[in-house]
Amino acid sequence: MKESNTQNSNGSSKYWLSLEQWRNDPEFKKMAENEFLSSPLGEDKEGGWARREFLTLMGASMALTTAGCLRRPAQKIVPYAKRPSEIIPGLPNYFASSFSDGVEGFGIVVATREGRPIKIEGNTDHPMNQGGLSARAHSHVLSLYDPDRLTGPRENLLNSEKTNKDTVSISFDNLDKAVVAQLKNSKVALLTAGTTSPSTKALIEDFQKAFSAKHYAWNSASVGTLLDASEKSFGRKGAVPKLALEKAKYVVSVDSDILGTWLSTTQQQADYAKGRNPGEEMSKLVAFESLLSLTGANADQRFRIKPSQQLDVVMGLIHNIVVKNGKSGYASSGTAKELLAPFSAVAASLGLDEMKFHQVAQELWANRGKSVVVAGGLTSQTAQAEKLQSAVNWLNDVLGNDGVTVDYSSGMLSQDSLSDLQKLIADLESGEIKTLIIHGFNPLYSLPESLGLRKSLKDPENTKKEDKKMVIYTGDRNDETGTVANFIAPDDHALEKWGDAEFADGVYSIQQPTVRSLYDTRSFEDSLLKWMKDAGRGGPAVSSADSWYDYLKNNWKNSIQARNRIGIGAQGFEAFWLELLQAGVFDTSNGKNSSARSFRLSALEGATSAAKTDGYELALYETVGLRDGSLANVSWLQEFPDPVTKICWDNYLCVSPADAEKEHIKEGTVVELMVGDQKVSVPAHIQPGQAEGVLGLAVGYGRKGAGKVADGVGVAAWNLASVNNGVLVASGLPATIKVSQKRIPLANVQGHHSMEGRQIVVEQTVAQFMENPQANMHKHKIFSMYPGHKYPGHKWGMVIDQTKCTGCSACLVACQSENNIPVVGKKYVLQGREMHWIRTDRYFVGDPENPDTVYQPLVCQHCDNAPCEAVCPVAATVHSEEGTNDMIYNRCVGTRYCSNNCPYKVRRFNWFNYTKKVRKPENYAMNPEVTVRARGVMEKCTFCNHRIKAAKNQARVKDVVLKDGDVKTACQESCPTKAILFGDLNDAESAVAKEFHNNHNNTYSLLEEWGTYPAVKYKTKVRNTDELKGSHGGHHGGGGHGKSGNDGHGKGGH
Amino acid sequence: MGKKIVGALVVFGVLGGLSAFVYALTNNKMELGYNQGYAPDQPIPFSHELHAGQYKMDCKYCHSNAGQSRHATVPSLNICMNCHMVVKTDSPWIQKITEAYNSGQSVAWEKVHLLPDHVKFNHAAHVLKDKDCQTCHGPVETMPVVYQWSSLSMGWCVNCHRQPENNAPVSCGTCHY
Repeated sequence: MKESNTQNSNGSSKYWLSLEQWRNDPEFKKMAENEFLSSPLGEDKEGGWARREFLTLMGASMALTTAGCLRRPAQKIVPYAKRPSEIIPGLPNYFASSFSDGVEGFGIVVATREGRPIKIEGNTDHPMNQGGLSARAHSHVLSLYDPDRLTGPRENLLNSEKTNKDTVSISFDNLDKAVVAQLKNSKVALLTAGTTSPSTKALIEDFQKAFSAKHYAWNSASVGTLLDASEKSFGRKGAVPKLALEKAKYVVSVDSDILGTWLSTTQQQADYAKGRNPGEEMSKLVAFESLLSLTGANADQRFRIKPSQQLDVVMGLIHNIVVKNGKSGYASSGTAKELLAPFSAVAASLGLDEMKFHQVAQELWANRGKSVVVAGGLTSQTAQAEKLQSAVNWLNDVLGNDGVTVDYSSGMLSQDSLSDLQKLIADLESGEIKTLIIHGFNPLYSLPESLGLRKSLKDPENTKKEDKKMVIYTGDRNDETGTVANFIAPDDHALEKWGDAEFADGVYSIQQPTVRSLYDTRSFEDSLLKWMKDAGRGGPAVSSADSWYDYLKNNWKNSIQARNRIGIGAQGFEAFWLELLQAGVFDTSNGKNSSARSFRLSALEGATSAAKTDGYELALYETVGLRDGSLANVSWLQEFPDPVTKICWDNYLCVSPADAEKEHIKEGTVVELMVGDQKVSVPAHIQPGQAEGVLGLAVGYGRKGAGKVADGVGVAAWNLASVNNGVLVASGLPATIKVSQKRIPLANVQGHHSMEGRQIVVEQTVAQFMENPQANMHKHKIFSMYPGHKYPGHKWGMVIDQTKCTGCSACLVACQSENNIPVVGKKYVLQGREMHWIRTDRYFVGDPENPDTVYQPLVCQHCDNAPCEAVCPVAATVHSEEGTNDMIYNRCVGTRYCSNNCPYKVRRFNWFNYTKKVRKPENYAMNPEVTVRARGVMEKCTFCNHRIKAAKNQARVKDVVLKDGDVKTACQESCPTKAILFGDLNDAESAVAKEFHNNHNNTYSLLEEWGTYPAVKYKTKVRNTDELKGSHGGHHGGGGHGKSGNDGHGKGGH
Repeated sequence: MGKKIVGALVVFGVLGGLSAFVYALTNNKMELGYNQGYAPDQPIPFSHELHAGQYKMDCKYCHSNAGQSRHATVPSLNICMNCHMVVKTDSPWIQKITEAYNSGQSVAWEKVHLLPDHVKFNHAAHVLKDKDCQTCHGPVETMPVVYQWSSLSMGWCVNCHRQPENNAPVSCGTCHY
């Protein structure tokens, strides 16, 4: 960090995985040299026996018992009494459904086996996610089988402080009696997550009428700020606009993680990728960021700012265009000039490169009508958030983007308002509202304590029993909110219940149950219906519906159909309904046009330039995996390496390298963070690319009562947020830190599995690519003395496009779900024993203060000349006639030679019987097509061998020839940007073969010079910049390790 | 001290056990547990000799999924009831199955052909290549009680896969994945 060029202290590798490597830290060298970070001899000694000795003894007794007993255990076959005609044992059934993740919506297809859901895939016909999925959507299936879910309704025996966790089981009948009595006697309010379900909204309206109840909604994404700004800017709240990133040639994000956490990220990734084809028309992404987010990591150009400077950036850009360059209709407006006057020298005052800032403004203007400016998300939720959104509206208006690339006609309908919530709390406090029904989110965790909700739920002393407040919670566990609720009426899991959604204006989706409720739970909507019926209230819609399903169907028939003039054919509604269930989506949004709205300058009255701050500013942020913390008890997400930091099982205080040096903070140093009167102690992580003077802390951690997985992991950060003028302030919070001497190791998966700085990632600028697609690529002449394998039938291969890959790592969880990959826990991740078959390596390029980031998904390369195969003493890893490198678990004796000899470090070893530790009923989430691996066995990516088998079987049953696209690997299917291509390389017409066998395009093999002939090729990372931060000097990416980088090339096979 | 004695005992035990094991295997005193000839008693003495032999019912009438799925599947009770609603309703066994059908409780049959978990066998792949069921299951139409006719060992599988006329894959990943 003392130098600011791209040379590190030993002057070699330009691409680096961690700061330790960049500094050439001895600890890193030690780690990189060791294949396995620990020895089994050092295992915990339980009961005096070391593990090795224990194994010896076990082996002996096994030998003795096998000799005596040769008959295998008798098993039973229990067929169905009456088999449902659609279920064939051994074949999956697929159900179209949908999944709401906060404000983000997904069309999903749920694969079930013998009646239980095992995997979630994207619905390719759905306009939201377009077939892709996020890591969280995949995890949804494991949350169904979460062992910590409540198995029935509960009553809490609350003490007066509402702090205890003593609950008893209660029947739904008794719960209903108590609730209905209370509903009849007091004023009631509903507090729910911002739902997009038209039928649930209709039901809530009926409920409101029945009990003259009030309804409040909240999203942790806090879209209310954006909507308030829309109201001020355009006179109408409207919807959260859809960003037409596929049309945009120039995208500017101001502390808004549009590819990772803000709004419909999967849809945004898909649309963004459509504009990222290298060439003249390639779009450019510019990020102004305080923390390094996934969006910033993908940006072509990135500026570092403090959260308090976000407004300055946008206003500065407008000033540059309107005043300095005199462009747009506002150039002659005196009011505009007056508003912009304080922002005349933004670049200088923010310490940004003036030339580059000016260039951004110019390029924006050049791309007017074809650009997008966006802000939003937790990190841009400063005290100025509303002004920031208004400024963004203005800039989009100046550029003529409003109504073109910022499409509010098919926007998202979710709403929330913190000021309404404050009214609710005041009403609860005063005793005006005595009954509160909480559904769909966890307010006592995900709202700051300072809002006062907890306090408002307490009864004043000496309250008569019948006057006491009652909280009814529909959550599925006794979590933070559960502990203050009198009754918990657990809602069904979304995979168990009916539902619908309108994720974007006019895009209707249906949600259908894929399994009967595992436990004694009841859907929230059924509860509302029951309570209305029991109280003898509710309109005709309520009385005519026996269940929520009836209500939903009637609502579709009578309301949604009528409203949208859905053309129902001669077969009538039933036929339409069946079609809807099959398709999962009903899109009426086509053909809607939005036009530019007229912007009101009054929205920005009083906008002031940020005062210079000396202290630290804290920015809370959501991680791609945990987001607001709602799925925190899903172990897949806890062990999901954050795409930016590559750390799992913790949250941590992100500090910039410069601040770390100033404060003597090392990786993992425990820091006490103070914001106002709130304090937390948290380990620090040094994050390259983070702005100086900014601290970052992820929300979603530090859960209480969420379950065995989530409890005690990380610290709760929502409490550090505050409320200001009805706006949640989660960023730009003044903070101080106190550095301790203690260090907590962080489970970082990047740093081991190192590839030692050879030609791994090849980067090109668009200009270089257009001149020569193979620019910067170093080709080797390789030959072999042996004839290669023959592949008479299929030859499977893959091409991964690094330009399209955003690093979101959805593929990792898709693979985990598909292939029964165990979770090992923080302790073993620290020892380098994580089991993921696909990992996304993240390389930084250039100066740690603001490096470029490259992502590279790495699967088993299925080499034609595989180093692992040659060294296995028992032939447990072998080459197949279709080019895959197969791992035969039952032959493997666990020598781990193969892993030692694998140059790509993609092999994973089962140190323990991880699957034995799987808690019931999580075992139901296992895929029966994939062997569950036992201790002592090596495993790795199989190219989804079982999917190839299943596709072949399908082709055989249908008597057709297997064609391109019939086999899709789990990672490929999940990829939002379609960066992964898979198929038959022997089929010259297949999409993958066209890329793979083309000798003139920008594909290359990893470590080609080793002569391994991988079946996976990578397309170069093409950046829309003028200059690369890691301009290529050496053809091995500067790798100075070993001889292979230094001796001559073209001699072959070194 | 105690640990040493235990260790010595273990070593002798292992050596003794292993030598006995190897002796028994190499002198045909013992076969590895392939379960060939295994013919367990079924809860209802269903006779393949009667149904498949005498009445010449097609195997796939009952094992209807053999051509689609990897499991041939033991028929669900509604298949039995297709005939036994009217056929031989006075038999106590048929009454037992009718009772099971009506109560929805099903019948727990003894599994005869048991492959280890690490082997994936696909019925459809073989049936659709026009392999007769008898090739692997033997003359089922003559069996009053079904037994395991072939060894189902890996060598037995691979022998067939290796025949050039079968044009079958022999890579390990065909069955082990």
